[in-house]
Amino acid sequence: MPLLPSLLLLPVLLRLFMDLHAGGLNLVLRFWQAALQPSLDPMLLRSLLGAVATTLLMAVLSWVISTGAGLVLGLLCSKRVARLFGASGRMSAVLKYLLAPIRALHELIWGLLLLQLFGLNGWVAVLAISLPYSALMARVVADQLDNRSSSAAEALRNGGAPAGSTLITAVLPEAASGLLSHSGHRLDCALRSAVLLGVFGLGGIGTDLALSLQSLRFHEVWSGLWVLATLMLVLDRLRRRPLLLGLLVMLCLGSASSQLDLTVPQFTQTLLSIPSGQFVPALLETPWAELIGGTLLVTFIAAAIAIGLPPLVLLLTLDHRTLRQPLWALMRLIPVPLTALLLLLMFQPSAVLAAVALGLHHSGVMGRVMEEDLDHCSSDTTKALHQLGASQCSAVLYGQLGPISRTYLAYGLVRLDVILRDTAVVGMVGGAGLGWQLIDALGSFHWALVVWLLLAYGVLTLCGELISGWLQNTWSCKAVEA
Amino acid sequence: MPDRQPRAIVFAGFLAGLGLTAALTGCSSTNPGGEASTLRIGAIPDQNPEKLNRLYDTLSDELSERLDVPVKYVPVSNYAAAVSAFRSGSLDLVWFGGLTGVQARLQTPGSQVLAQRDIDAEFTSVFIAHGASGLKPITSSDQLVQLKGKRFAFGSESSTSGRLMPQYFMKQNGVTPEDFAGGRPGFSGSHDATIAVVQSGAYEAGALNSQVWESQVKDGRVDPDKVAVIWRTPTYVDYHWVAGADLDQRYGEGFTNRLQQALIAIEPDTERRRTILDLFGAEAFIPAADGDYAAIEAVGRELGKIR
Amino acid sequence: MPVLELLQAGLAGRLQPSNLRIHNGERIVLLGRSGAGKSTLISLCNGALQPDQGRVHWQGQPLGQRSRRQRCQLGTLWQELRLVEELTAVQNIQAGALGRHNLLWAFRNLLGLLDPAPCMDALGKVGLETDLLHKPVHNLSGGQRQRVALARLMHQMPELVLADEPLSALDPVLADDVLATLLQAPACLISLHRPELMHRFNRVLGVRHGQLVLDQHPDAVTEADLKWLYSES
Repeated sequence: MPLLPSLLLLPVLLRLFMDLHAGGLNLVLRFWQAALQPSLDPMLLRSLLGAVATTLLMAVLSWVISTGAGLVLGLLCSKRVARLFGASGRMSAVLKYLLAPIRALHELIWGLLLLQLFGLNGWVAVLAISLPYSALMARVVADQLDNRSSSAAEALRNGGAPAGSTLITAVLPEAASGLLSHSGHRLDCALRSAVLLGVFGLGGIGTDLALSLQSLRFHEVWSGLWVLATLMLVLDRLRRRPLLLGLLVMLCLGSASSQLDLTVPQFTQTLLSIPSGQFVPALLETPWAELIGGTLLVTFIAAAIAIGLPPLVLLLTLDHRTLRQPLWALMRLIPVPLTALLLLLMFQPSAVLAAVALGLHHSGVMGRVMEEDLDHCSSDTTKALHQLGASQCSAVLYGQLGPISRTYLAYGLVRLDVILRDTAVVGMVGGAGLGWQLIDALGSFHWALVVWLLLAYGVLTLCGELISGWLQNTWSCKAVEA
Repeated sequence: MPDRQPRAIVFAGFLAGLGLTAALTGCSSTNPGGEASTLRIGAIPDQNPEKLNRLYDTLSDELSERLDVPVKYVPVSNYAAAVSAFRSGSLDLVWFGGLTGVQARLQTPGSQVLAQRDIDAEFTSVFIAHGASGLKPITSSDQLVQLKGKRFAFGSESSTSGRLMPQYFMKQNGVTPEDFAGGRPGFSGSHDATIAVVQSGAYEAGALNSQVWESQVKDGRVDPDKVAVIWRTPTYVDYHWVAGADLDQRYGEGFTNRLQQALIAIEPDTERRRTILDLFGAEAFIPAADGDYAAIEAVGRELGKIR
Repeated sequence: MPVLELLQAGLAGRLQPSNLRIHNGERIVLLGRSGAGKSTLISLCNGALQPDQGRVHWQGQPLGQRSRRQRCQLGTLWQELRLVEELTAVQNIQAGALGRHNLLWAFRNLLGLLDPAPCMDALGKVGLETDLLHKPVHNLSGGQRQRVALARLMHQMPELVLADEPLSALDPVLADDVLATLLQAPACLISLHRPELMHRFNRVLGVRHGQLVLDQHPDAVTEADLKWLYSES
């Protein structure tokens, strides 16, 4: 089943082949050559080190906040928890849908909106990441809790255990390992978001990367990427050692507090006022069908790539786990705008190209998720099948991919959300869709249109939510039948 | 799982410690009174932004010495963010592009234009084309119609020289963004990226800041066989320094004037000042006034970038 | 007064409306072919299934309106055990007593800060080796898990024990241990596939085609009764 989306890769490849122009081959080669010889200019490195501390601090702070808030919200959103406490699942479902619009907005957009309210302040960036991440975490928590059909909780409840005790004794421990691994994964995501938010002038390595990229100074870009890669690796190692991670964060806090202003944010006196006469023209002037259609097209192709590529790569490189890990890391490491630019140097602009740029980045994320799922699932079935004479390929397919496919696809559905948000950052390759329109509207300070676009995003995410909820239901039904 | 107990405790301790430290630094790092006396300057990310970011000390030191107030450079790498930060009072003096400067002043009553570079009074954009695009050099602006149906790239969406003015001149000659291949232009994100995507052939033509183009040609970073200038726009005013409204109130009567003088007085006489001028690609800064940008405002309104 | 009472309780297609009174001190074995309605009857008794006609009462109260204390008095040994796989054996056993304690206690159990002494009694009854206590239950063998589930049930100290085919997957020695432990409860209702064990009980119920057809003392149950109970039609 996870392989199904990769079928879509064929027409995409065909389209790319037709658009191939390879005119920027030398630039692309220069980019990859620069990987081996990053700039070692001391001034640059000093700037990068300070920046990386700021980024890390932003990432960890928002990770801690969003994990905590997400857990609480997730419990409130879970139908199963609601039923445990004797409430109907209705309220929690409503709450879950209410959180959808918060998730629907990219950190970048949140950042720009919060900036209007609070001015430049370290918390703006932290909040900009925390808000959508809390909502996302809440959804994952709720899904994890609701998707489990374990009966221990019902048994304890039947034996007279109070709801709260049952929650912490039976419901949470069951979901704990999944949630722990997911929250670790969120740290990785928060880091990447913090990088993207370098756009805020809060310093951070994202600023340095973006600026070097704007001037196409690939050697400097790679210095930044290597520093970032090191940080990603260190965080991944330290994830299971909170003490060391804490120490590292304290260190960063010391060195970055000069750059990241963490004073209590205050409302700026000048609040926004939107001339009400602009709303109707803004609604009428915008080609909604085209925008939404373009956004959905990009989202679906990107999602198909992101979900379909990792299993495909797995089948092609069965025994080379050590090869796959750096591949996923690389995909996640390179920010989407950079991937888009590199692709653009080789292919003509099109919606498909934008989708490929997005899809490749997110396949890095999905690949990591897949590897973690594979680690958790034992390879006994695979070995057994292998001994029965199945080819290694089909053994892996049935023995390992089979068992993880449900959680993997469930996570893929969550990813669909994120990809929808991320369409905002691939404007360069064709400028299609809502996200680009939103950035342009923000750049024109056309608040009436911004409000409409935010609404459109909210509605789209909500629809996605309903559809994915329905899909998940059908899938788990199927699983039960089988 | 017994091994989870200590981990849970350690984790809880870690969270508590983190919260505590954050709270402590939050209270201690900067008190509001001290913050108010720091002049915060910023610049939109347009030319040599990565250098500006690294050499910001030179400019803030220069101004600090001249004006005898603490000056801090705050890097901002997004046009809209720079405008918003200025409006919300997080930035006091900002190097804006033509369009962003007007946007910022309209949103921040009382703010004023202080200075521009010598070259900004007569700024131009260049239209460049890929060799294989079949586009011929344009001798009069009505020939811009040959861009219809081509793949065309702008720079950043709020850039004056990379988007606003090129779009305006095209519109005057009957070419709108919908006329391009695919029904819309691309946005490369920066002037340098526009050169790269046109040179590679991904886009057949593009428009950018002529100053960037010339310095790239001078540095030999452009392949003349693949990409060439096909048109240079008429002149318009562009980049400028804009100061916030409350400076006189905060630093005393006449401070805004002193700030303007300090900027204009930067001449290539010391190493540091040479670095600054070099950074901005200018020979000198010259005085400028709000009225100089009325034309840009009109264009911004016409194209919907100012509401 | 009976502890548990079924008043014309039934579930369409699975169990016809039936009357049943269970008193303290009764050890009841439930016999019948697979699919005859044994599991449905037990599920109606512990509230896992709601009857669509009739009522089920616990000590004169409708089953759904019991107080928390009353809920503790009815214990079930589930066929699929329903242990919290991620927790240790001792944490699972302690969880049997959740109904008698507050949230803080549950939290301390989760962190492993509770004194295991109170559940030693239950532990002794099921004969679980103490060195297994701190292993997560998903690492235990089938028989060990069965004992953990049994210990949890005993630690709950129920007035009435319900068990649905608790011996079906067990080796003879373990099966005997489990049955003996279950029979120590003040009252029990246990469904079995082994009619030869009925003499260890003091009341026999028979279900056939969704109908409660037999209710007698084991001594009064004849070979013919059993043959009929297990016959096709």
